[in-house]
Amino acid sequence: MGGVSARSDAVGGVVVHVDGRAVPAVDGQTLLGALLAQGHRVLRHNPVTGEARAGYCGMGVCFECEVEVDGRAQVRACMEPVRDGQRVRLGPATDEAAAGNGAARPDVVAP
Amino acid sequence: MSRSAGARHVDVDAVVVGGGAAGMVAARDLARAGASVALLDEHHELGGQYYRRRSGAVLVRDGDLRPRGTRLAAEVRAAGVAVHTATTVWGVGDDRRTVLATRAAGDGVLRVRGTTAVVATGAHERSVPFPGWQLPGVVTPGCALHLATIDRVPVGRRTAVAGSGPFLLPVACALLDVGVEVVGVFEAGRPYRPDRRALDAARYPRRLVELGGYLARLARAGVRVHQGWHVAAAHGDPAVEGIRLRGPGGREREIAVDAAAVGFGFRPNTELLALFGAEVRPDPATWDLVPVCDELGRTSVPGLVAAGEARGVAGVHAATVRGALAAVAAAEHLGLRGDDEIDPRLLRRARAADAFARLTAARYPVPHRLVAAAPDATLVCRCEGVTAGEVRAAAATGWNDMDATKGASRAGMGPCQGRQCAYAVAELVRQRTGTAPRRVFSPQMPLKPVRVAELLAGTAPSTATATPAVPAPPAAAVGSGGSTNGRSPGTAVPGVGAP
Repeated sequence: MGGVSARSDAVGGVVVHVDGRAVPAVDGQTLLGALLAQGHRVLRHNPVTGEARAGYCGMGVCFECEVEVDGRAQVRACMEPVRDGQRVRLGPATDEAAAGNGAARPDVVAP
Repeated sequence: MSRSAGARHVDVDAVVVGGGAAGMVAARDLARAGASVALLDEHHELGGQYYRRRSGAVLVRDGDLRPRGTRLAAEVRAAGVAVHTATTVWGVGDDRRTVLATRAAGDGVLRVRGTTAVVATGAHERSVPFPGWQLPGVVTPGCALHLATIDRVPVGRRTAVAGSGPFLLPVACALLDVGVEVVGVFEAGRPYRPDRRALDAARYPRRLVELGGYLARLARAGVRVHQGWHVAAAHGDPAVEGIRLRGPGGREREIAVDAAAVGFGFRPNTELLALFGAEVRPDPATWDLVPVCDELGRTSVPGLVAAGEARGVAGVHAATVRGALAAVAAAEHLGLRGDDEIDPRLLRRARAADAFARLTAARYPVPHRLVAAAPDATLVCRCEGVTAGEVRAAAATGWNDMDATKGASRAGMGPCQGRQCAYAVAELVRQRTGTAPRRVFSPQMPLKPVRVAELLAGTAPSTATATPAVPAPPAAAVGSGGSTNGRSPGTAVPGVGAP
């Protein structure tokens, strides 16, 4: 991929911990960009439909990119700057979806 | 709820909501005119969307994307404006004058009361739903742009840019900058055909040069701009793997992509203006609501001025001028202006910008027919999982205004408060009933989700009242899916009501 590469030893490199795994990022990026750059295409699951979701609007309006940061829930990744040592948990709704709360709307699917 | 050490109250001459181009110009000019000004913005830095800044190592390595915006933000601070970033305005107090906000730090409610208020809350992108638009990897053009320019991250390896509007072109170019293979730009309309109307654009040579630059860049990179094509569906599991496009004569083609940036222009954020009680009306070009205001942006509420895209979508140059005009109106309300005449150049620039906005809207008409084309199973309300079929059914049973349809279907009740679906819901209702509903849900507080714990932060149980102590509710977020953040239940607080 093109663009700025994220290595933890690069100038401006920071390390974010995502579900316990160390993820390199670049100081100045948003969490959304840093996560996407490292292949995290799915950020959470919608609590009503159980579908996989990720960032959509990039400007804090849609709330699709909510992740947990340093214990704070429902942080919009598109507005959150990365910081060295950040602890990120993806998809708090993942547990609910797995418990069967989601998938209540099987008719809502992509063709 | 009584005021306490945790909640903060600020009294100023002018409160400006929104730190984008219009808000920054308005705040700076008002401060220079001698007013005490508080500028509030939800983001951690000033700039809004167009002037969203690079920071940190990205800034050092790749340079300042928007030096003009950086200068503006510096001028705002140098003028003595009290800048409150990472501060989300979510409501208006009972006095219809005090702005209610919470900070990301979560230290209680910030109440800012201005003798005058400038609302420069900008706009958000218009979405037209299609099957699969909720898949990871399908984003708005603005999202793809910010990822490319601010984060320097490609939204995908192979990406389509689609929808309608002049914005698609700079987005496609920005994607090329970060190494994306742009498989094509698919414009639903036909704005680039040479016809007589196109000649009107010749009166705006700088805009034409800008447009020509994008088209040339795309041509050099072999990226075709297709006209009359739209995304009929996206598919993939769990993220997008391909899109089906539909074009003239019903032709279809499938393209493998791992991202798609799809959007249809912008809609003004008028919710805060409506909470203040400002009169709004449908914009004849788009049917979106805009505030009723004069050339300076004065609304139907004395002392309340609208600026920038919140007045109606017209671009950053219009926003800058409207910010200056808003400062004039607010300064007049504060008695800070003598008999100074308004700079006629400002008014000329404003009129030219408005005329160009009307030309643009006519060139890129919103394709309402695409909403009609959405199959019943298409997701319309992303937050609450409401389909087009459910909205159509709700409309058919007589629930044919926006708020009743919302009540019957739950569309619009989620965290985004209908910002992503209101356009489509209104169009579905209109198509089913023939009536033209307002194209927004009635705004209500909180405009954005707020944690109960944030509302309660700093309130001390010892500020005793005659009412018996009641157990605190679980610290759920108001207006969105529940979540706890560690506040212990059972802590007595002196009543929990609207702040």
